[in-house]
Parts: sequence; C-alpha cells; structure tokens
Amino acid sequence: MHVGSPNSISPWPARWAIVLACATFPLIWVGGLVTTYDAGMAVPDWPTTYGHNMFAYPVLDWLRGPWDMFIEHGHRLLGSLVGMIAIGLNVSVFRNERRGWLRVLAVVALLAVISQGVLGGMRVRFDNRQLAMIHGCFGPAFFAFAVAYACFLSPDWSKVSAGRLDRSGQRILRLSAVLVVLTYLQLILGASMRHLTSQISPDFFRILVIFHLINALAIAAHIAVLRVRIAANFPRVLGLLLPVRGVLYLVSVQLALGVGTWVVKYGWPEWVSNWDFAAGYLIAAKSHSQSMTVTAHVAIGSLILAASVLLLAQTARRFLPTGASPSRPYSADRRDGANRPSGLAMEAVR
Amino acid sequence: MRFDRGCKNTTAAFLLLAVTLCGCADPPAVFVLNDAYYAHIERKTQTTFDPRSRDDIGLILASSFGEPDDPYVPLIADLDATEILDLTRVKQSSGRVWSDKIGIARGLYREHCIHCHGMSGDGLGPTASFLNPYPRDYRMGIFKFKSTGKGLKPTHDDLVRILTEGIPGTAMPSFKVLDKDEIESLVHYVRYLSIRGELERKLIELLPDVEDRLLDDALRGKQDDKYKAQWDTIRGTAREVMEKWVQAEQEVLPVPARPDGWQDPETMRASVEHGRKLFYGKVANCFSCHGDSALGDGQTQGVDAWTRELLNDKEQFLGLAKMTPEERDRFEYLKARDPRILPPRNIRPRNLRQGIFRGGRRPIDVYLRIVNGIDGTPMPSAPLLKPGEAPNPGKLSSDDVWSLVDYVRSLQYESISNPNDHEPVVTRERL
Ligand code: HEC
Ligand code: HEC
Repeated sequence: MHVGSPNSISPWPARWAIVLACATFPLIWVGGLVTTYDAGMAVPDWPTTYGHNMFAYPVLDWLRGPWDMFIEHGHRLLGSLVGMIAIGLNVSVFRNERRGWLRVLAVVALLAVISQGVLGGMRVRFDNRQLAMIHGCFGPAFFAFAVAYACFLSPDWSKVSAGRLDRSGQRILRLSAVLVVLTYLQLILGASMRHLTSQISPDFFRILVIFHLINALAIAAHIAVLRVRIAANFPRVLGLLLPVRGVLYLVSVQLALGVGTWVVKYGWPEWVSNWDFAAGYLIAAKSHSQSMTVTAHVAIGSLILAASVLLLAQTARRFLPTGASPSRPYSADRRDGANRPSGLAMEAVR
Repeated sequence: MRFDRGCKNTTAAFLLLAVTLCGCADPPAVFVLNDAYYAHIERKTQTTFDPRSRDDIGLILASSFGEPDDPYVPLIADLDATEILDLTRVKQSSGRVWSDKIGIARGLYREHCIHCHGMSGDGLGPTASFLNPYPRDYRMGIFKFKSTGKGLKPTHDDLVRILTEGIPGTAMPSFKVLDKDEIESLVHYVRYLSIRGELERKLIELLPDVEDRLLDDALRGKQDDKYKAQWDTIRGTAREVMEKWVQAEQEVLPVPARPDGWQDPETMRASVEHGRKLFYGKVANCFSCHGDSALGDGQTQGVDAWTRELLNDKEQFLGLAKMTPEERDRFEYLKARDPRILPPRNIRPRNLRQGIFRGGRRPIDVYLRIVNGIDGTPMPSAPLLKPGEAPNPGKLSSDDVWSLVDYVRSLQYESISNPNDHEPVVTRERL
C-alpha cells in the first residue's frame, strides 16, 4: 500500500500511528488480565517495581515470578512501550505533517498515554478500586482514539471528499454517533461490574446487569439498522461498509462471549438445569478458560468501541462539510464507487 | 425518526447512570450487623430492645474479632482454638488484595469470595441475587456437605474439600488453582466469619433476657464486677460456638467398609434392586421428596434453614405468588429493617437421574449424604441402626444404606422411558 498523502511529506507519521494503535490493543488485553486476576496490587509500589527502577527490574525475576506479578509488571512495561511509541509518533508528526489539527492530536495522544500511566500509578499508590475502574474505562477510549488517529493520517483519508449531507446520510451519521455513545456506555457498565467494591448491594449489581443486557440489545439492534441503511444507500462505499460489517461481526462474537463470561463465572441459570451439562457445571475459579473468556469479552468490547469510532469518523468525513480538506465532488472518489444518482451527490448542503 | 429519538433518551439515561457510578468512592471495609436477625428476634419475642444494644453488639464483636482489615481471634481460657482459628492464617485472607514482597497473595477472601459471600460472610455479596442456590450465609454456622452428623460443624478436611472441588451445579467454584496454603488460610477465614456471625446471632438471642445491657462499656473501671460478669456471659457464649468447631474434628462419622466383592455385577444388581425397594419404602421414604421417578419433583415446596427464618419457621412455603399474609408481613418487616435480604425461594430435592452430586460423586460421599442428611435443607438423615443395635424394621443397616447408594448412583443409567419400572412399582411398593 502506498503510504503518504498530499499533506504529509513522509509515510512515517501514518506508520507510527498504526504501530501505536496496534500496540495499544495488547496493552488493553493485558490490562484486562490484571483486573481478571485481581493483580492490580501484585506490585505494591509505583513507579518503582519492588523498589527497582521499573526498567531495571531483573528480567528473570519477572519471568519466573508469580503469575499476577508477571502480568502487572508486564502491563507496566507494555504501557511504557506505548508511551515511547507515542513520543516517536510526535517526533515524526512534527517533522513531517503540515496539518495543524493532526499535530495537536499527536500531542493529545502523548498526554493521554501519560495521564493513563499516572492514573494507573495512582490506583496503586492509593490502592483505590474506583481509580482502577476509571483507568479501565480510559484505556479503551484511548485505543479508539489511536485507531481513529491512524485513520486520519492514512492517505485515503484526505482523498475522500466531504460535505454532502442528505437525509440518509444524516440518519447514518446520527446512528453512528449514538452507536459510539452506547458502546462506550456499555464498556463503563461492564467495568462497573468488574470493579465491584465490596459493599455494593445485590440490588445494585442487579441493576447494573440489567442495564448491561438492555444496552447490549440496544447496540445489537442499532448496528443491525446501521448495516441495513448503509447497505441500502451506499452499497459500494467500502469506507462505510467495512467498519459497519466489522462492528456487526464483533458484536455477534461479543454477545456469545458475554453469555460465556456469565457462565464461566456464575454458572448456568436455574432454568436450564434440566440439561445435564448445566446441572453438573462446575465453575473453575481463575482457570485459564475462565480468565481468557472474561478478558476476551473485555478486549472485544474495546475493539467494538474502536470500530464504531472508525465508522463515525468515516461517516463524518463523508457527510459533514469540512473546510480543512480539499472539497472535491464526492463522485470523484472512485474507490468509494460513487457515481450514485441518489444519495450523496444529489442534495448538497450549504 | 422515533427510533433515533428513543435512542437519544436511553443514551441520556445511561449517561446519567454512568456519572453517578463514577462518583462513588471506595467504601470502607466494615462488617455489617445482622439486622434481619435482630429484627426477627425482636418481633418474635415481642420486645423492643434497648436502642444501645445494637451498638453494644457491634462493640463486642469488634473487640473480639476486629475489623475486616485488621482481624483478631477471640481467646477463650482453656480452649485451644489455634487448630480452627489461626491468626496468621486468618490475616492472610483478610484485608485488601495485594501481594507482599516474596509474592505471597494477601486479601484472599476479597479477591476470590467476597462478590458472592459478602464482606461479613452473610451470603449477600453483589452477585448473590442472581444465583440459585444463594451463596452460603456462614453466620448461621450451618454447612451442607460434610462428614460429621446432623447439626455438627464440618471438619477442616470437609472445608478444604469444598474449596478445592467446588460444588457442581451451583455458583460455588472449584479453587483448584490456589496453593495449598492459600486454601488453608481461606478455610480459617470461613470459620472466622462463621464463628463471628454465629456469636452475633447468639448474642442477639440473649437480648430479650438480659437484665440491663449485654455490655455496658461505661461500667469499665467503675463497677468492674458487673462489667466482668457481662464479659463472662459473652465469653461463655463464644465458647459454646467455638467448642463445636473444635470438637467437629473428632466427630467424623465412621463409614463401615463394604463386604468384599460388592462390585461383582451380580451382587451389584441385587444391591441396586434392594436399594430401589428401600428408596420407595416407608422407612427411607426417599421418594416422598425425590419423587416417584426420582426426578426431584416429589416435594417441591420445601425451604432451607436460611429462608425459613424469613418466612414462617415452617418446613414448607408455597412460593412467592402464594405467600400467606403472615409470611408476607414478616418478610416485608424484615426487608424494611435489613433491605439487603433476598427474596425467599423454594429448595428443590435433587433430580437424582442426572447423576450430579454436589457434595461429591464418590460412593462414600453419597453414603455420608444419606446417613447425615444435608444440614440446613429438608434432606433428612436416614434412620441408621447404631452399632450393635438389634435389627429393627424401622431402621436401616449400613448395608441398606450402601444399597441405597448403589441405587441412587445407578439412576442416571436407568431408562426412564420404561414406565413399568417406575410408577406402577412405586404404587405397589408404597402400599
Ligand atoms: C460465584 C459465587 C461464589 C464464589 C466466588 C464463592 N462461592 Fe462459596 N458458595 C457459593 C454458593 C452459591 C454456595 C452454596 C452452594 C449450595 O448451597 O449448595 C457456596 C457455598 C460455600 C460454602 C459452604 C459449603 C457447604 O458445605 O455448605 C463454603 C464453605 C464456601 N462457599 C466458601 C467459599 C470460599 C472460601 C470462597 C472463596 C475462596 C467462595 N466460597 C467463593 C458461591 C460462591
Ligand atoms: C424431606 C425431603 C427429602 C427426603 C425424605 C429425602 N431427600 Fe434427598 N434431598 C432433599 C433435598 C431438598 C435435597 C437437596 C439439598 C441441597 O440442595 O443441597 C436432597 C439431596 C439429595 C441428594 C444429593 C446429594 C448431593 O451430594 O448432591 C441425594 C443423593 C439424596 N438427596 C438422596 C436421598 C435418599 C437416598 C433419600 C432416602 C433415604 C432421600 N434423599 C430422602 C430432600 C429429601
């Protein structure tokens, strides 16, 4: 793929951005494991690790140490790596990128990584589960941001022409915006269920679960509608079709993982106990299958968030007028297979 | 677009919820008082307790057991309780979750158990309302799956076994992945919570008869005799509770060995047949609860000990929809006093055709269940002949019980589609 765009003299910022997004995903996964294994306090000090400078902590002690210490220290190292990538990104962007808003966003990315690291540190220093939850909600938000940023820097981004908002576009734009809100909310609800403080009452947890379920259905319905709308109105616009398909696919996987998470943690509900597999099901606490199912549910959650943000970015790019980029008529973008008589090209918006 | 507007409203509602959620800080780790039982005894004895007595009980418990972050174990003169309550072990499971320098995991209870069993071991952790059966409330001091007789405490090994094996078919997980030391520590902590909770209940039971106050801290240094007498009563009560745990280790029911050759197909077939007769007979009377086809549908209106207290103190309860006014009255009164209590449910006898044994599937486990019953549930202990007692048609010998075991364990392989094996035989043999 050719990387580079009219606004960027070098392909490197885009490459850095892709690396940043790709490194953040495993970071989220490991962070999820930290919570799954309740390993947040496996290393009780911060920014040091058992008194050592974090980077100087003996590698063998780390690799051979207890599992929860392994993932917590690993999470810190991986986090630092992401921080360093963010620095590299900034250097590259400031040397090569002319668009001011992208420079600003690069700084935002770096600041976000730093704050997230500090937040994680405070969670340890104050041993506060509420902070852990905020840290857990901020991570996926950053991941979604990193994905969107990589998309902004890609050469295709500036090739797409913008600024034709008709009724169907308006609907799609609105639906994608709501989708982002719903998925993020779902993530917060999920995080609240994972970071239970000890004295939450059964009634409160029940409310959380019910909201999480209703919201899951709302998201599923939402993405189904979006998929139909986009397929009907822009059947050849890959920039929209791919993300919407991605979200749809991920949401289906996520629904299954959600059921799985419940089962591996709390067993089958009473009403399926007529089946032997349910009546005899034994929960294996902290087993690999349990931890991986639960953490996968968490990680896919942030992937869904990122994919919906991508979709929103793509719709906004196509349907919102922006002054920043060259405004070519939409149909000039051949890759997005326009030339459609209805839809985008017809009703221009001032 | 109505659909979109609907979405917007839901979104707004969700956002509001999210903001509220983030607002709450880590709550302090404290034990919760057993308000439901307090209210229950008040109501049952029709007395109104001195409003200070609630704090008195809190003080007694705090000075004997400490707080969740800093537990102590009560010292009772002449009672060596280190085997059941070892402070070092209790401490490892208590408090917040972290790992110390040499990688020893701390705060095990909060890491592994609290979301079901609750900070105070009251079975009212956040997830409790979704689980069936509800997580165990240790405070009543009743445990189901153990090798000791009816009404006795489980042994150390019983608890270790439950934690390692888990309870299949319930939310109680197997903690096989934990170290032996971690399991040991958790077992001590379960006993700690159970003893604390049971003492709390016993103290509440003392309240109606106590002359003045259970413990008046103002007496200290002024009327030492009286103050000491108050503590003596309390210690006596604590001793009663703890002694039972200490003694449990000696009370394992001996399980007589089976005669050689019991596994031969012929002997086994005869034993199963004998077991079937007993199962449907008057003495063992198993079918009356487990049902004519052993599907667990004979007596579906039973309640367990934990629920009974919230309703009617009776063996039966017709279900939420058919609550009598008195039951509803009591439940609502208790719920108002202790809003965390969960809605009552019936307990179902086990469906024996699934071959699932929550207390363990080895023959000896099933033997123990039949002989000891399952504490806290309607499942009774079988009337067993004492060693040396002359045969008696109203009782079962240990061989009879082994036959019941064989029959029960064979049920999962027996075809239920052959009605001749079941209903008609049942009716005939019931007569
Ligand atoms: C996912 C929820 C859950 C978790 C986590 C859990 N339990 Fe349980 N536990 C239960 C339920 C439900 C029961 C009741 C089972 C029954 O009544 O058959 C139970 C029962 C018990 C019992 C009583 C067994 C008996 O013979 O009566 C003990 C002891 C116990 N749990 C200890 C623990 C300990 C210690 C931990 C943490 C290491 C723990 N549980 C974690 C749900 C849980
Ligand atoms: C008064 C009703 C009642 C009678 C009579 C009764 N049971 Fe039960 N039984 C129960 C209930 C209720 C349970 C479920 C307890 C629980 O939830 O743990 C149970 C559970 C069991 C279990 C399951 C144990 C496990 O580990 O899961 C077996 C086996 C069993 N009963 C066998 C028998 C046999 C054999 C008899 C006759 C000697 C019998 N029962 C008589 C009510 C009864």
